[in-house]
Amino acid sequence: MTAVIRNTWVLTALCLATVASGAVHANAYREKDKISKIANSSMTVTPPRDWNRLTIKPGKYAEVWTLDGEQLNDVTFYGGVEPGTPLLRERNKKRDPLPKFTTTTLLVEVPELLEGTYRAHKKIGSFTLTNTQPGQFLGRDGVHFTYDYTDQDDLPRKGEARAVLIDKKLYMVTFDAPRLHYFNRTLSDFRTLADAAKIAK
Amino acid sequence: MKKLITALIATVIASVPVSAAPKSKVVAAPTPPPYTGVYQPQGVDEIGLWREDDERERALTNSPLVIRDEALNAYVKSVLCKTVGSDRCNTVRLYILRVPLFNASMSPNGTMRVFSGLLLRTRSEAELGAVLGHEFGHFENRHTLQQFKSARSGTDLLSWAALLASMSGTRQSYQNFDSIRLSVYGGLARFERNQEREADLLGLGYLNNGPLRPHAASRVWRNLILEVEASSAARGLRKPNFNGVSFFASHPPDGERVNYLYALAAPDGEGRDDGTGRHEAALKPWITAFLDDQVSLNDFGASEFLINSLAESGWTADLWRARGDLFRARGNPRDLMNAADFYAKSVAMNSELAEAHRGLGLSLIKTGRQVEGRTALERYLQLQPTASDASMIAMTIASSEGK
Repeated sequence: MTAVIRNTWVLTALCLATVASGAVHANAYREKDKISKIANSSMTVTPPRDWNRLTIKPGKYAEVWTLDGEQLNDVTFYGGVEPGTPLLRERNKKRDPLPKFTTTTLLVEVPELLEGTYRAHKKIGSFTLTNTQPGQFLGRDGVHFTYDYTDQDDLPRKGEARAVLIDKKLYMVTFDAPRLHYFNRTLSDFRTLADAAKIAK
Repeated sequence: MKKLITALIATVIASVPVSAAPKSKVVAAPTPPPYTGVYQPQGVDEIGLWREDDERERALTNSPLVIRDEALNAYVKSVLCKTVGSDRCNTVRLYILRVPLFNASMSPNGTMRVFSGLLLRTRSEAELGAVLGHEFGHFENRHTLQQFKSARSGTDLLSWAALLASMSGTRQSYQNFDSIRLSVYGGLARFERNQEREADLLGLGYLNNGPLRPHAASRVWRNLILEVEASSAARGLRKPNFNGVSFFASHPPDGERVNYLYALAAPDGEGRDDGTGRHEAALKPWITAFLDDQVSLNDFGASEFLINSLAESGWTADLWRARGDLFRARGNPRDLMNAADFYAKSVAMNSELAEAHRGLGLSLIKTGRQVEGRTALERYLQLQPTASDASMIAMTIASSEGK
């Protein structure tokens, strides 16, 4: 009898936890043509089509948007990364630190910073920067770059990114998707979304 | 009835298997048993394991992480054959994976995976052979099957114990169940550690019996200890304990391995060749790429240790360049000064090394030496006009002109 009562309490607690976590982890709908603020920064985006924003943020200054789901087509916005901080949340600040964006980081080094972050975060050895060009982002002179990598899941992925340094802060948007099917299918959606990103003057 | 069940659980606790751990020996590892020829899986468990493993191998053959350089593959296979003997090694399928971690494994159906991080850390054929022989020992003694069976027995026992404890429903029976659970989990981890010791024993047996210097096995672990110490020191962490065994550890502590591997090496093998020159020559086309993978992991202490250890046989332009990259990535002002110095040394040794000019130029610009920095970047563009970041570097040169 005691066991039954205890199990009921456990069940109730579990139900409450599930409901609560559902509310906490619900992903947000980003409706077409409605302005969205990015990661509490002065960067905003007015999406030209509907997107989903994942509630779990990969870093203090980052948030992920997707069309089909996480890992399938991830657009990650980095809104005003402060000097001395990493792009993504570190698993362990002391034992597993990530490369930091610094006051001396040059625009041409931003692709290397993303490469180092991915390599250290994913513990991978296959990441290649395929092209780095000057380009506009948030209406300023920045950098556009593309890259390939293979994650621990053996799935080759491609990426494209745009970045700019404004007031010693890093603003960036990256698009990561499996090379097979998803990258090419979503690339134009990413580009129009990145074009729609703005920063308050 | 409850008393009976409680007593039963107590009996079960007492009967939890205590694995018969072979203690480390102080005599040389014995010659391995004669090769029994091609082995086929026996019984439903093993046949199932092999089928699953065949499926994994099919996926592995298509993995983009596999390094398909024939020369490198042939070399690593030749080291395995030297270690375990050509009769044993012939059926092994060896896959070198571009993963910058210290690891290798061998699965039940004879698939050997070697990580590029292992190749970066071994300095001789004998050191590489020591790790490959150890992995082959797991395969020859069919450790995965034993592990699967022991995990199944342990979890079966836990299921029955949970059932009996819930039937009894007393506080004592739940406490007993918790004790059983700890015993079983601890026993499984200890079983794995003993398998590692057994594979070490067999691996040293192969080395003692082969042409390579068996004492190199101990050196692999000694170097790993030094690397971990360097990594911890750079991160401001407490010096790790290399002799303590944690409850869930799957491997014996590194300190213990260093000692018993040295003791297991045949004394008459001390004067044998360890193939350092051949190893260095075979890895030469790849070592810079593997080192760059390591440098990008943001483990400053470990990377610095590995660069210095590779430089024991002489500094090269690539090693100075990698050290420059390591310091530039950390990016403190003092690091940038050092990085510029290292890149300059690299350029002095090989003025055609484009990446060193790039690193030098960026480090100089970041430390306020714009004119010299621009010159270095211009040289980079001369050497690599079609580099993937050429236009961005050109923009950096232009934007630094106004400063």
